[in-house]
Amino acid sequence: MKKKILALMMTAAMAVSMTACGQQADTAQGGQDAAGETKQEESAAGEEASAEPSSQGAAAEEGRTTFTVGFDAEFPPYGYKDTSGEYVGFDLDLAEEVCRRNGWTLVKQPIDWDTKDMELSSGTIDCIWNGFTMNGREEQYTFTVPYVDNSQVFVVALDSGIATKADLAGKVVGVQKESSALAALEDEENPDNIALAASFATLNQYADYNTAFMDLEAGAIDALAMDIGVASYNILQRAEGQYNILEGEDGSERLASEQYAVGFLKGNTELKDIVEKTLLEMAEDGTFLKIAEKYSDFGLPESICLGKE
Amino acid sequence: MQGWMEFWDNFIVMLPQLTEKFGVTVSIFVLTLLFSLPLGLLLAFGRMAKNGLLCLMSKIYISVMRGTPLMLQLVIVYFAPYYVFGIKITNSWRFGAVILAFVLNYAAYFAEIYRSGIASIPVGQYEAAKILGYTRGQTFGKIILPQVVKRILPPVTNEMITLVKDTSLAFVLAQVEMFTVAKQFAASQASVMPLMVAGVFYYFFNLLVASLMEYVEKKLNYYR
Repeated sequence: MKKKILALMMTAAMAVSMTACGQQADTAQGGQDAAGETKQEESAAGEEASAEPSSQGAAAEEGRTTFTVGFDAEFPPYGYKDTSGEYVGFDLDLAEEVCRRNGWTLVKQPIDWDTKDMELSSGTIDCIWNGFTMNGREEQYTFTVPYVDNSQVFVVALDSGIATKADLAGKVVGVQKESSALAALEDEENPDNIALAASFATLNQYADYNTAFMDLEAGAIDALAMDIGVASYNILQRAEGQYNILEGEDGSERLASEQYAVGFLKGNTELKDIVEKTLLEMAEDGTFLKIAEKYSDFGLPESICLGKE
Repeated sequence: MQGWMEFWDNFIVMLPQLTEKFGVTVSIFVLTLLFSLPLGLLLAFGRMAKNGLLCLMSKIYISVMRGTPLMLQLVIVYFAPYYVFGIKITNSWRFGAVILAFVLNYAAYFAEIYRSGIASIPVGQYEAAKILGYTRGQTFGKIILPQVVKRILPPVTNEMITLVKDTSLAFVLAQVEMFTVAKQFAASQASVMPLMVAGVFYYFFNLLVASLMEYVEKKLNYYR
């Protein structure tokens, strides 16, 4: 009897390790496939989505009850945890209003920025709404009309004596990995920015802005390239009046300008249209500006562009 | 003085939120142990089997699971249903995928710990048991395993402590746990203080785990 039990256990062990091995191989291969063929898959998914919705999609949107927004919760003032511990921010407030007008329940899903595309294409989030730069990403997502004119700027310590981009030559500059600021510095079509990046002593990449700003505070780096909204927020939170944002008379000392929009899965035009329509209505009746004014400390009302021609 | 007041205000808001999400951290920890400890033993059997194929399979499994980053395994487990089988995944799969990936990963480490424990028992004990009329199952269950458990407690404690700190990787799958909340507070308060508080949480939980394991070790320290 005991022997039988042991034999059974061993078979179970074998089965488990075999299936485990099999699974491993499958998923590993799947992972490779997914990585290798993302483009194909995406375009296929896009075609499918754009072909289907005319018949099915619109009907599917009618039955929608929840709206899941994916956002980076470490990106103030667009999406962050406020002092009372709630997820707030300009973008989340806008999403809340859009949901209220459409009778949806808003689900705020903080995501890891590195896996945002997989979250979107697998359907766990409906959109990326989080100070999401649309420039250069038009091919990968379906975007609403832009609602914020954003700039990438350099933040320097006030006593550093750096006043122009040219002063940055030979300095240590920090930037967040995979950020729009980094993309601007590596933009092949913009020789000025390439030359600028080449003039730095080094360009340090950081996992998050918080660490990067600490490095600037501690004096390990001379300048930090980042979104103007996030820069204003951090300066206000840390030490007002000790940092300077390089702007120049007419914005000529800025690194780049770009626009924020809400990003949907490529081809998901039905949902995009509903959200876009609601946003435009909000701009028309002044609700949009009212929400922006809540974040006036961070210079938001000046940079919104929705409804302004 | 004002700095202290601000610190205190922030701390009061942060504490209940960190505590709440610490529950997620602890459930990842407990569920992972619950499933990976038995799975690890099965894997160790496979790894020590006389059957060449079984042994090879287990070896490959352990090699892959230990040789690739847990972060990658999390992503693969979570997104595989969609990218491999075309099944749309839902929000509730997040937590399941986190547990599954952690269990599959930790079982590989535990398997090797079990193997070292089993291999450390002298062959003479098996021979003696055979002469005394024990079956193979009895020999393992009544004689070998109790000794193995005693011997592997220190390395198992090591893995458990590592596991507590590894739970923060769950945010790769957007599973919000304690460290995620701490990072979010750090960003909005523009300070490292929330991370320090998170560190204190981890330290005291690990202190508890270590003390508990020390107690168990002492309890099992008979025959010496």
